Amino acid sequence: MSVVAQIVDWSALAQTAIAALLAGVGIAFAFSLVILGASRLSDSSRELGLFGTVGYGTLTIASLLACVAAIVFGIVVMAG
Amino acid sequence: MGEADVILVIVVGTALAFDFTNGFHDTANVVATSISTRAMSPRIAVTYAAILNFAGAFISLEVAATVAKDVVVGDVITPTIVFAGLIGAIAWNLATWYFGLPSSSSHALIGGVVGSALAAVGTEAVLSDGVIGKVLVPALIAPVVAFVVAGIAIVVCYQIVGRQRPGPVTRGFRLGQVVSGGMLALAHGTNDAQKTMGVIALALIANGSLDSGADPPFWVIISAATAIALGTYSGGWRIIKTMGTRIIKMDAAQGFSAQGAGSAVILASSHFGYPLSTTHVISGAVMGAGAAKRVSAVRWGVAGNMIVAWLLTLPMAAAIGALTYGVTQIFGDGAVGPVLIAAAGIALSAVAFARRARSPVPA
Repeated sequence: MSVVAQIVDWSALAQTAIAALLAGVGIAFAFSLVILGASRLSDSSRELGLFGTVGYGTLTIASLLACVAAIVFGIVVMAG
Repeated sequence: MGEADVILVIVVGTALAFDFTNGFHDTANVVATSISTRAMSPRIAVTYAAILNFAGAFISLEVAATVAKDVVVGDVITPTIVFAGLIGAIAWNLATWYFGLPSSSSHALIGGVVGSALAAVGTEAVLSDGVIGKVLVPALIAPVVAFVVAGIAIVVCYQIVGRQRPGPVTRGFRLGQVVSGGMLALAHGTNDAQKTMGVIALALIANGSLDSGADPPFWVIISAATAIALGTYSGGWRIIKTMGTRIIKMDAAQGFSAQGAGSAVILASSHFGYPLSTTHVISGAVMGAGAAKRVSAVRWGVAGNMIVAWLLTLPMAAAIGALTYGVTQIFGDGAVGPVLIAAAGIALSAVAFARRARSPVPA
């Protein structure tokens, strides 16, 4: 077991797991917000009023930008 | 053309055949979740995956170097050893495809080359630190990480959109799957096509046709990209069926979470230099996305068969690789052994495809 412990770079493995957790859960969180915002806007734009429409519109766009940024970052990581 | 050149031609042809089976076998990793949630039609999904696999092969050359550097000692490798390793990998890929089991093409390739190197040279030919530290331990950890990430991701998705009307939510996640599936295909192309490039480069170096440490020539890159794309387009429908519907019945949010988690794990691992199995990762993610919703939603019997196939991949491919090397040596060091085995391999593959073509994909 100690031989394996010496061979394996546990620090890099832990960083891999944490990076994957943040990216995987982060993209799910951001894209769910895109769907939530778009869904609320399309369902009840008349009921939301100006404040609600602007709020959900901002949420949708900001979340979508976060998703696009994550995808671009992923491609850059692959190319690196 | 001397005997060494004949062997080299056979090795390159066999490597491209492996690349084709890699794409064929691993299509399911990328497209099964998109097909099963109806995010894309089957034909469009495999065409899309084939194009992105082709593009992915050009993104980086790091993995190609890693395959040749960290698994076996390059100085003692001969084209015949590489050939025997490839036969081990192809044989295991076709066997698991025949039974519809998703197993790792990457581990089959590494197992095959390690097995033939062990048979030809002995333990000094194998870099055990690299095999354990960069292949075996990450192979055990990656599916668990993917399982956990996909499980948390689907819980987050359900918490945020759970009270919305199901129609727009499903359409939204299906749209998201087009992107997450594309990322998986790109990641698969860049990782797996490069493994074949690395093996061909190893054979070229062993033959003296390429300087040690040089990047693979462009013809190697484009032929590997083309082979994996054609294999992907041909599609392994049996494994797609297993991945898409036989582990769990997925909704679009689960499909998106599984693909997103799978992409995240593969990209993070690539960044830190681990040559991962996309099969293991996406299978773990699919199980995680299912188990987080309801543990009993996962068909654990099917999952158990897959895990057995995973555990058997390295030793079985190694055993076939070692056996193949032994058989080539019956005919001496020349080209006769590889020529006969390649011919027998083509004949056996044709029989397997013909038998499977006659029987429908199981429901």
